[in-house]
Amino acid sequence: MENEKFDLKNEVEILREDCLRPTRTFGRSTQLWVGFLLIIIGWGLYCYIHQLRHGLGVTAMRNYVSWGLYISTFVFFIGISHSGTLVSAILRITKQEWRRPITRSAELLTFVSLCFGGIQPIIDLGRPDRIANLVIFGRLQSPLIWDIISICTYFTGSTVFLFLPMIPDMALCRDRLTVVDTRYKRFKKWLYTFLAIGWKGTKSQWHRLETTMTIMTIIIIPVAVSVHTVVSYIFAMTLRPGWDSTLFGPYFVVGALYSGSACVILGMAAFRKLYHLEKYITPRHFDLIGKVVLALTMVYAYMNLNEYWIPAYKMATAEGHLLSDLFTGSYSKAFWTCQFGTVLLPIVVMAFPKGRKITPLVITCIIIAIGAWVKRYLIVVPTLLHPFMPIQEVPESWSTYFPNYVEFSVTAACLAGIFLIITLFSKLFPMMAVWEVEEGIEIDHDTKVAVELREQRHVEEAKAS
Amino acid sequence: MTTKCKINCSLFLKRSALAIAITGIFSGSLPAQDKPKTGGKSEATILMSYSKSADGHKMAMATVKAKKDGKFSAAKNAWVNFYVLSGGQPQKLRQVVTNDRGVAKVELGKDTPLDDSLYFTVIAKIEGDAQYEDAQEQMHYKEANVTLGMNAQDTSRTVVAKVTEMGKDGKESPVKNAEVKFCVKRLFGAMSAAEEAAVSTDDKGEATFAYPKNIPGDTAGNITVVAKILDNDKFGNVVAEASANWGTHLANIKDPFPRELWSPYAPWPLVITITSLFGGVWCVYFFLFRQMVKIKKDGKEVAKAETIKN
Amino acid sequence: MQSNIEDDPKKNSGRRDFLRFGAIAAGLTIVGGGLQKVFSGEKEPGEKVKLLSPNGKVYEADTSALCEFRPTPVSNAEARKGIEGKKFVMVFDLSKCDGCKKCTEACQTMHYTEPDREWIKVFTMHDAKAEAPYYLPKPCFHCDNPTCTKVCPVNATFKRQDGIVLIDNERCIGCRMCMAACPYSTRFFNWSHPGSAQRAAVGNITYSPEQSVPRRMGTVEKCDFCPDMIRQGKLPACVSGCPMDVIYFGDQNEDAVTNSSGVTVKLSALLEQNAAYRLLEELGTEPRVYYLPPKNRKYPAPEAGAGEDGKPKKHSAMGSMPM
Repeated sequence: MENEKFDLKNEVEILREDCLRPTRTFGRSTQLWVGFLLIIIGWGLYCYIHQLRHGLGVTAMRNYVSWGLYISTFVFFIGISHSGTLVSAILRITKQEWRRPITRSAELLTFVSLCFGGIQPIIDLGRPDRIANLVIFGRLQSPLIWDIISICTYFTGSTVFLFLPMIPDMALCRDRLTVVDTRYKRFKKWLYTFLAIGWKGTKSQWHRLETTMTIMTIIIIPVAVSVHTVVSYIFAMTLRPGWDSTLFGPYFVVGALYSGSACVILGMAAFRKLYHLEKYITPRHFDLIGKVVLALTMVYAYMNLNEYWIPAYKMATAEGHLLSDLFTGSYSKAFWTCQFGTVLLPIVVMAFPKGRKITPLVITCIIIAIGAWVKRYLIVVPTLLHPFMPIQEVPESWSTYFPNYVEFSVTAACLAGIFLIITLFSKLFPMMAVWEVEEGIEIDHDTKVAVELREQRHVEEAKAS
Repeated sequence: MTTKCKINCSLFLKRSALAIAITGIFSGSLPAQDKPKTGGKSEATILMSYSKSADGHKMAMATVKAKKDGKFSAAKNAWVNFYVLSGGQPQKLRQVVTNDRGVAKVELGKDTPLDDSLYFTVIAKIEGDAQYEDAQEQMHYKEANVTLGMNAQDTSRTVVAKVTEMGKDGKESPVKNAEVKFCVKRLFGAMSAAEEAAVSTDDKGEATFAYPKNIPGDTAGNITVVAKILDNDKFGNVVAEASANWGTHLANIKDPFPRELWSPYAPWPLVITITSLFGGVWCVYFFLFRQMVKIKKDGKEVAKAETIKN
Repeated sequence: MQSNIEDDPKKNSGRRDFLRFGAIAAGLTIVGGGLQKVFSGEKEPGEKVKLLSPNGKVYEADTSALCEFRPTPVSNAEARKGIEGKKFVMVFDLSKCDGCKKCTEACQTMHYTEPDREWIKVFTMHDAKAEAPYYLPKPCFHCDNPTCTKVCPVNATFKRQDGIVLIDNERCIGCRMCMAACPYSTRFFNWSHPGSAQRAAVGNITYSPEQSVPRRMGTVEKCDFCPDMIRQGKLPACVSGCPMDVIYFGDQNEDAVTNSSGVTVKLSALLEQNAAYRLLEELGTEPRVYYLPPKNRKYPAPEAGAGEDGKPKKHSAMGSMPM
């Protein structure tokens, strides 16, 4: 018994060190990586200022395609923000033990993609200087206002959801950071102390934390569902062919969960590799989350069937024109590649245990992530190019659309921003919820001890008899 | 020599305001008389008409058409000189340029000279225009007066238009067999009050028209009846107006901006749904924030206790 | 202001003349393109131009002294309320439309729009192979169940009590939700700053949602039914600019519409006798614009062309009405 206890302590100690190690260094490669991201962000910022000065006319958008890459990216980023909710909240509620090492990265992904998803519509605004009008003159009837309310609520919720499990870890970081000899370390010490909100690990504090966590876990799920539902409503509330669909709410929610959990896998793989967390994030975790993505792919495939097969059977005039353009027309290559890559391929790959090994899973998830982005574009743009009234005698640039360098640069800057924040976060805070993983180890240990005790009893009973 | 001008009266009247405005379209850059001729001039013809508005203004109008590629079309920017005959001699009124529709107009003052039989003569000439060949036309009309009587008895309503002309003795005498058209004034023009709204005057110079019931008035139910004599050989176009409270009342819109999805004001069910759903979530958030504050408080207490112990 | 009254100087003088000049100038702005020439600064200062007063008198005025006259626009609050007791309605008699696009030109002159921006656009339609092609002028429909005002997050586009849907470009945030929502592709976005030529032409007119100018970058614009003209008792620019008398405009409450020849007809009878219809009625947007079918055409039909397979083609001269 003495031996066992000593081992547990040791294991916990190793875990804590493994988690805190990346926060202690800021190596040359990290510096280069951050510098690279900053260059992309700087260029994107320059392009955005150019756009601010000369108007959205510097983009490829024109009067027919009045929404383009920005709005597609908005939908995509908001989509991947659902990862945190799914992995963290749903797995917490269903008490899945394997969630423990991956909740932090999922919640972080939610937080960051929401930040950058939320600013997409602002980047897309013609008059960002009048943004206060949304508060001053806001109309509750507008789906855009629903978006704002819902995203703000979700953002607040997911920030709290990210922060709550961090409190004990912050206390750990605070207590472990004993030598404060540089200004950076003094800042870190201050930051940890601030974020630990006086955590001492008392019984009442644990009790409160558990209560708030439970409530948050429950409340965040409907809020997350509302977010992607109302994001779909900015399309579904119009009469436009391709958007005028009652399926759009659930279709977007499923698409969001699906692309989001694929991105969680990518995050898991990256941190596992970079921060040497192989011991905690095991192939078993990939296998299990692979099954989740497989299940979501099948639901997503089912949604696609409904979304395309029902109108394709009827081929109603306006919708028919759009669908024939998607199926056999100018968008057919993109459409079928996308459908193949995001619907058929993942099912085929992930259905087999071999496909859920780390490498094939990561490749599939990269395809899913890119495919999901392209899919958003294919939802937004072709519809705008198929209005009810024919497009006649307009300048060439009005009747075609492909994002130009300004849009690509600004979007790339947003993506780089996501990477930057994740990088900086991981260099300040542990990327696994230390106490949660500890809890898992303890449960594991207790189970082991219980099993041993039971076996011992069996042996003793056998002897006695 | 009297010209009978086939010009749509309502066109003339309703377009007059606009036409007056457009009459002025010209500037130094447009062809003027002093410019040298370039090529041949177009053959031009003039049509003339006269009309007297309800407020007594008398207008002479010349519509100029020019032959272009074998077809006559409206002659723009043609300079038209208007003259009146005074004691048999033409007296220049003024020069007017035609608008896009080829129309030039001039107002005839109260002192327009009349001949012995109380007719006046207006002459329109194109003289030495840079674009158009010389042309000339004249018209010969007499002034008539139309007065409207609005009679309502029980449910039947009639409009009586009395048409008179000035005699040589200075007395008004009734005009027989003059066709009067009864219209109702609308926002942008006069609408025929009925499908058959033209009535000829009787021996007393009176045209009686039974006013139909189903014509909408304004919010107060007021309507304005317009009586018109159109293209009369002797009197040209004459118009008179009178108002009465005969229109069907326009149902007052109780609330022009109801609580609807399209209006500035949100429907209550929507407001309640959104407020309660998201308000509920935010209430939970506030509870959580309070818990976090309490966690901090607990920590402080523990820290205090530790310092006391030490 | 210097003005030499050529003849008959005793009747009118001074301020009244100035006002009348104003009226002329306003008239010029509305109908002719000539005004821009006068005011676009092509002339040397001190040069005289001839102007004509409404009662036929010729005036000469220094070009530098000329200023454009527009009646002071109504306040924003008034522009949002609309004209009480009115319900404006437009009717297109397609049998008379020969596709000359004079309505578009008149509209563009009136609103100083760039040539690619057609607030009223004339489509060449060919719905099905066996059917005859026809022209279809399309303004904003000022729907009674407008999808655009529903989705506007800041009440920048709004429906007034007289039925007109307007945009307040001093409030618009440029989210373009209304453009996405409009099933008739009626709305245009100011992607860039208005060009210098346009700014010069517009001058320093006080902005009002009723006249839609001066336009501002990053905001949406569209056909406005010319409410500033209506307030002056004049027909919208497209209506008075139509040489074929295709377009009728009026107040539904008065049950009367008027065309450019000044012919005023009973609206209910016109719609009833000509089997009027509204475009894409099945969308439920309740347009305030009616069409009379192109029966017994008064012009040769447009030539059947690229669109005869019944599908709209990009850049083709032909389109078809999906539905």
